[in-house]
Amino acid sequence: MSEHRDSAAGTPAVTAGPPDEYVEAEIHRLLAEDPAVAEQGITVVRRERGLVLYGEVESPHRREEILRRVAERFPDVPVTSDIGVIRTQAPTQVEQLP
Amino acid sequence: MIRIAAVGDVHLDEDVVGRFRPALDELPDCADVLLLAGDLTRHGTEAEARCVAREFGGLGVPVVTVLGNHDHQCDQVPQVVKVLEEAGIRVLEGEGIVLEFPAGRLGVAGVKGFGGGFAGRCASDFGEPEMKAFVRTTNESAEALGAALRGLDCDLLVALTHYSPVPDTLAGEPLEIYPFLGSYQLGQAIDSAPTALALHGHAHAGSERGTTPGGVRVRNVAHPVIKQAYSIFHLGDHLDAGEVSRIGHSGIQQPWS
Ligand SMILES: [Fe+2]
Ligand SMILES: [Fe+2]
Repeated sequence: MSEHRDSAAGTPAVTAGPPDEYVEAEIHRLLAEDPAVAEQGITVVRRERGLVLYGEVESPHRREEILRRVAERFPDVPVTSDIGVIRTQAPTQVEQLP
Repeated sequence: MIRIAAVGDVHLDEDVVGRFRPALDELPDCADVLLLAGDLTRHGTEAEARCVAREFGGLGVPVVTVLGNHDHQCDQVPQVVKVLEEAGIRVLEGEGIVLEFPAGRLGVAGVKGFGGGFAGRCASDFGEPEMKAFVRTTNESAEALGAALRGLDCDLLVALTHYSPVPDTLAGEPLEIYPFLGSYQLGQAIDSAPTALALHGHAHAGSERGTTPGGVRVRNVAHPVIKQAYSIFHLGDHLDAGEVSRIGHSGIQQPWS
């Protein structure tokens, strides 16, 4: 195809970086596989103004670390986060099972 | 009645130590036992296991756990198990334990479990060696769980896994990843015994409640799902209608109110 010919000639058809879907996939894998993060429950959602990270982590430190690592690896992608720290209060109710 | 506290996926490391402790200090007042549904650590290192031992050790009630996939990440499972057991936390993998309470004997059988998917949409033991190894891991884990459940002599039987035995409690997760979150073989194992309750974790974006095809109640107790330090389940009202207070290891009588 034409893209193939272009890239073979050393002039890729797209020069504005990898398509968004690959960036999303890479961020997703970075979050799961980077030992500094190791989170599998973070969702990457594409919004008009960039990528938003959603999910829940066990400490404020981890939330900061996620943003830091993503910004470090993808400095050109605008990323914001709406990641929560999971509450650890004692339960106020009991589930009665038969 | 037996009171079971449960949580999974606490993913401990230094930065989390102490966060659960205030709620855990209250636990002996409201539960007879704490069951942990795996993913106790972030990467399964011995150092992280020590964090788990500090946070969940010496609670005043028995603590029983299975490991999760994260606890396998650094290939230090024997060291992790050793640290946990030294802290009095019993680690189950293909085996069971019977705990005696005033209300009766609680049997807990546990395995980590594995993925594979659910009836009609699952991986098959066919083709490449990698695929067959994947499915055989699932089958062997489920067989071990079934055998452990059927082998326990107790009044109330609970199954503890990390991976899910049913798709119900995965609701909220993308459908595409269900095969990595659990397998129907675990449900089949749970249904092969008179199981009263099945607890699991792993599906951080899943939901709390489900039922096996055989009618056993399933609860996803992953911390991000329950959003509290632990959940409490009261079971076995039939065991003794009169005796609801407990004279436990802590020596205090504390009826739940
Ligand atoms: Fe987890
Ligand atoms: Fe997990």
